[in-house]
Amino acid sequence: MSERRGRRRGGGGGRSGKQAARQKSLVAQAPYIERNVPYFEILDEAGLALIEHNADTVLEEIGIEFRDDPEALDILKQGGAEVEGERVRFPRGLCRSIIKAHAPAEFTQHARNPERSTIIGGKRTVLVPAYGPPFVRDIDGGRRYASIEDFRNFVKLAYMSPGLHHSGGTVCEPVDLPVNKRHFDMVYSHIKYSDKPFMGSVTAPERAQDTVDMAKIVFGDSFVENNTVTTSLINANSPMTFDDTMLGALKVYARNMQATVISPFILAGAMSPVTVVGTATQILAEAMAGMAFAQLVRPGAPVVFGTFASAVSMQSGAPTFGGAEPSQVLYIAAALARRLGVPFRSGGGLCASKLPDAQAAYEAANTLQSAALAGVNFMLHTAGWLEGGLVMGYEKFLMDADQANMINIMLRGVDVSENGQAMSALREVGPGKHFLGSAHTQANFETAFYVSPLADSNSFEQWQEEGALDCAQRASVKVKQMLNDYEAPPLDPAIDEALIAFMTQRKAAFPDMNY
Amino acid sequence: MADEEYDDEEIILADLSDEELVEQMHDDLYDGLKEEIIEGTQILLDRGWGPEKVLAEALVGGMTIVGIDFRDGILFVPEVLLAANAMKGGMAILRPLLAETGAKPVGKMVIGTVKGDIHDIGKNLVTMMMEGAGFEVIDLGINNDVDSYLDALEEHQPDILGMSALLTTTMPYMKVVIDALVEKGLRDDYIVLVGGAPLNEEFGEAVGADAYCRDAASASSTGVAMVAERRAAA
Repeated sequence: MSERRGRRRGGGGGRSGKQAARQKSLVAQAPYIERNVPYFEILDEAGLALIEHNADTVLEEIGIEFRDDPEALDILKQGGAEVEGERVRFPRGLCRSIIKAHAPAEFTQHARNPERSTIIGGKRTVLVPAYGPPFVRDIDGGRRYASIEDFRNFVKLAYMSPGLHHSGGTVCEPVDLPVNKRHFDMVYSHIKYSDKPFMGSVTAPERAQDTVDMAKIVFGDSFVENNTVTTSLINANSPMTFDDTMLGALKVYARNMQATVISPFILAGAMSPVTVVGTATQILAEAMAGMAFAQLVRPGAPVVFGTFASAVSMQSGAPTFGGAEPSQVLYIAAALARRLGVPFRSGGGLCASKLPDAQAAYEAANTLQSAALAGVNFMLHTAGWLEGGLVMGYEKFLMDADQANMINIMLRGVDVSENGQAMSALREVGPGKHFLGSAHTQANFETAFYVSPLADSNSFEQWQEEGALDCAQRASVKVKQMLNDYEAPPLDPAIDEALIAFMTQRKAAFPDMNY
Repeated sequence: MADEEYDDEEIILADLSDEELVEQMHDDLYDGLKEEIIEGTQILLDRGWGPEKVLAEALVGGMTIVGIDFRDGILFVPEVLLAANAMKGGMAILRPLLAETGAKPVGKMVIGTVKGDIHDIGKNLVTMMMEGAGFEVIDLGINNDVDSYLDALEEHQPDILGMSALLTTTMPYMKVVIDALVEKGLRDDYIVLVGGAPLNEEFGEAVGADAYCRDAASASSTGVAMVAERRAAA
């Protein structure tokens, strides 16, 4: 809009003003979704109580293995567990009472931009990019190992996606960097290229400590000691096992008041029983053991009850996604987490498809919808996931971010205000006419309906004239446009310099290793 | 097949002709009946069959059918597990006899997940398939460092070394092991197969493996083919 022009009655701005306004997403960047719809539950009180009883039986009778970490065994023993070798058995009710006594029901994860600081737990849902893929895929380059450049790209895309509230963690694994040093560049990328909250390294205790130390450079030492600025992923090695790598990272984060997501990683049929209730029982037992352990390390350290549930194909052993049974597990686990009084993580745009195709879209939609309705608080893997998590897809990322926008709107609930009731429109138009020109429509149409930036709803002829592109092709155009338009959020140059100095010094302190 | 096609009488393996018995053993392997396979193996030996012939015609022949139907999605993993277990029952009888005759075993494999990696479901599936193919498998379990692999190779002198990893942070360790083999001049003594979700063919080549195997079935078929090829060339 030209500044020389005068103001017009009723707004104005002409063509350029409207063009600018219409570019904006209907979903404004917010730190989380505040839920205003009920939870969808599929099991009654008796069913949930039965699972809780059985999970306590698992903990008491079978026990959980805490491998190769004598300190963890000592901590658990002092906390009241029975330790036999590496097998830890918990008296009935012990884990629940420890968690209920100390674990916060919700917590704030601070972002370097205070407007992006999020709250995890309660009625909130935080949507987070996919985590862990060693490969990336896009239309032009196909499937290839991920690099740090890809990592930065996905941090940028997440930063620019208003429906995503979090920068994630291992948005892809930069396999071009040495295993023992790549975490520096990963953490730095989250800090540098985004101002949303992020996740830390968990692949070794010292890498967790490096994450905490880098966070201290950004937030200040004393702030980090008493506030949560990272949320990191600790997987149980299901069935019923925690290993020293995960326990080591967990201890570092908990001692530093940083949040951990304790996630049983379940490919049901292989790593848990084939039934929904059996799987939910095992998940509850594993998650409670891990969360109770974190509370014994530091009472009050934030923990999230995690659940990654998939089913293996009994024909091939391959993980499958988007099925009904893992969604049933998800609904039940969400209810169990609410009863335990801790935040819950699950869900995401999970699929087994190799391409951002119809299979990818419907499998992802199934899990995204289930997770949203279930009441997931921290939805890891919301965007980008392909091929069972082996691949981070550029086009798929935008397709899922589109879904994330719709989840934002769905969970917000409906407007029952006077404007929402629209009685004026009903009176004005009356029978046999249309609503397109009514005053109420004129006042509300812009924000009334979400318009997908990727879906094509036009006529066949227009679609054909515009190149007859499918959804992935349209997403590809948009990926390039976004990465081209990206502008980094401001970062204090002194902090940037200090981070680089820290990394340079640490990287020089020990040789590159690939294990 | 409809139930009425079976009569109620129990099959007495000893009453069957050789041809019928071998056919019955193929069915019993398919159905994962270990006791029956052990019994059938013994009957054939008692009738004067050489252990190599029993292995090739009754057991490997039967497991080939199992492998085909697994690949085609007719048999499920738990069923193949039972079939492989039944096969092992027969192999336990045959192995010492094969050793006595000096016959070359189908093949021997040392397998384990690499250092830092405790994810072993895939490795266990490969073990199952290799045993199903008649291989003797020495399973080193999880979290193996270079010395663990080298000691096992030295002790067991297998045809194949198999390594697996699930984590991107552990998969590069395969190169460490292969480099150690090269350094000690042992690389060419073994076929090295690698596998695991984050790997691909390019990675297999880059670390210096003989092949990357995408799943348990292909590990087994690749292993069998490469051992045969190697022996033919020797």
